[in-house]
Amino acid sequence: MQSLRWLLVPLLVLPIAWLLFQGFGRDPRQVASPLIERQAPAWSLTTLDGETLTSDDLAGRPYVVNFWASWCAPCVEEHPVLSAAWDQHSDDLAMIGVLYSDSRDNAESFLDRYGRAGYPTVVDESGALAIDFGVVGPPETFFVDADGIVREKQTGPLTAESMDRHLASIGIGR
Amino acid sequence: MSRSLPAVAIGCLLALVALFALRPGSPPTDAQRADALAHELRCPDCAGLSVADSPTNAAQEMRRQIVELVVGGASNAEVRQHFVDRYGDWIRLAPSSPVAWLIPFAVLIAGVGALTAWLVRRPSPLVPTPPISADERRRLREEAEALDA
Repeated sequence: MQSLRWLLVPLLVLPIAWLLFQGFGRDPRQVASPLIERQAPAWSLTTLDGETLTSDDLAGRPYVVNFWASWCAPCVEEHPVLSAAWDQHSDDLAMIGVLYSDSRDNAESFLDRYGRAGYPTVVDESGALAIDFGVVGPPETFFVDADGIVREKQTGPLTAESMDRHLASIGIGR
Repeated sequence: MSRSLPAVAIGCLLALVALFALRPGSPPTDAQRADALAHELRCPDCAGLSVADSPTNAAQEMRRQIVELVVGGASNAEVRQHFVDRYGDWIRLAPSSPVAWLIPFAVLIAGVGALTAWLVRRPSPLVPTPPISADERRRLREEAEALDA
C-alpha cells in the first residue's frame, strides 16, 4: 500500500487538470445560441435608404439575417459569399444585413467599395436587435425558416460551403 | 473554568461580529439593483468585462435594458433570465451551477484534511528519547572496548 501512495497526487490532479484544459483550444466566440429552434425576435428598423422594414414584412419566407460592420475584417471576407447567395436565391428567400455598432456613412463606404449585393441593410442604432439575437460580435448570421424559426447560426465569416449547408437547413438549394 | 474564560470570551465576541455583519440591511434601491446586475453580466463585445465596466455600445444598451426592466418591476432573477434567454448562460460572469461554487471549498477542506493527517502522523521532533538503561550502558561500554582491542 505504501508503494502505491505516489499515485495519489496524479490521480487527484490529472482529472482536475483535464477538466480545466478542456477550455483551451476552444474559440470563446463559439457560444451556443439559445435561439436555435425558437421563434426569431420581432423587429422594426430603418434601412440605409431610410425606409422602415419589419420582421412582419418577411413572414412566410425563409430569410437570412447577417450582422456586419465596416470595421469587421471577416465581414469583407464573407461579403462575396452573401452577394453570390443573394444572386442565386433571391426568388426563394429574403436576406437582411444588420449594421452592428457602426455609422451609416461607414456602411455606405463599405458597400461602395466592396459592392452592393442588392438586399437591404437595416441600422441597429441602439444595438437592441443584436442583443435580442444574442450577437457576440460580427459577423454573425442567422438562418430563419419560413415559419420564423431560427434553424442555424454562423459565428464568423461564411464560406460558400457553409452558406450552402445553412441554406439547406431552411429549405433553400440542395 | 478560569482557563477557558478567554476562549469563551473570544468566541462570544466573534459570534457578535458575525451577527452584526449578517444583519438584514435596508432593501437596495432600483439604481443599486441595476448596478449590481450590470456587474453580474458579461459584455458581449469584451468578454472579460462586466456590462457595468465596458464602454461598448452593446454594454450601454444592456445597461439601459437592465434599468428598464428593474424600474418596470422585474426581479433580479427575471433580469438575468432576460439575457440568458438571448445569450445563454455564458452571459453570466458568475457561474450559476452550485457545483462550481462548491469545488474550491471542497478542495480547501481536502487540503486542510490532508495537511492535518500528515502533521498528526509525523513523529514529533520534541518527543524526548528515553534515557539509556544501566544494562544498555554496560553493553555499549563492552562493545566499545571490544572495538578498541
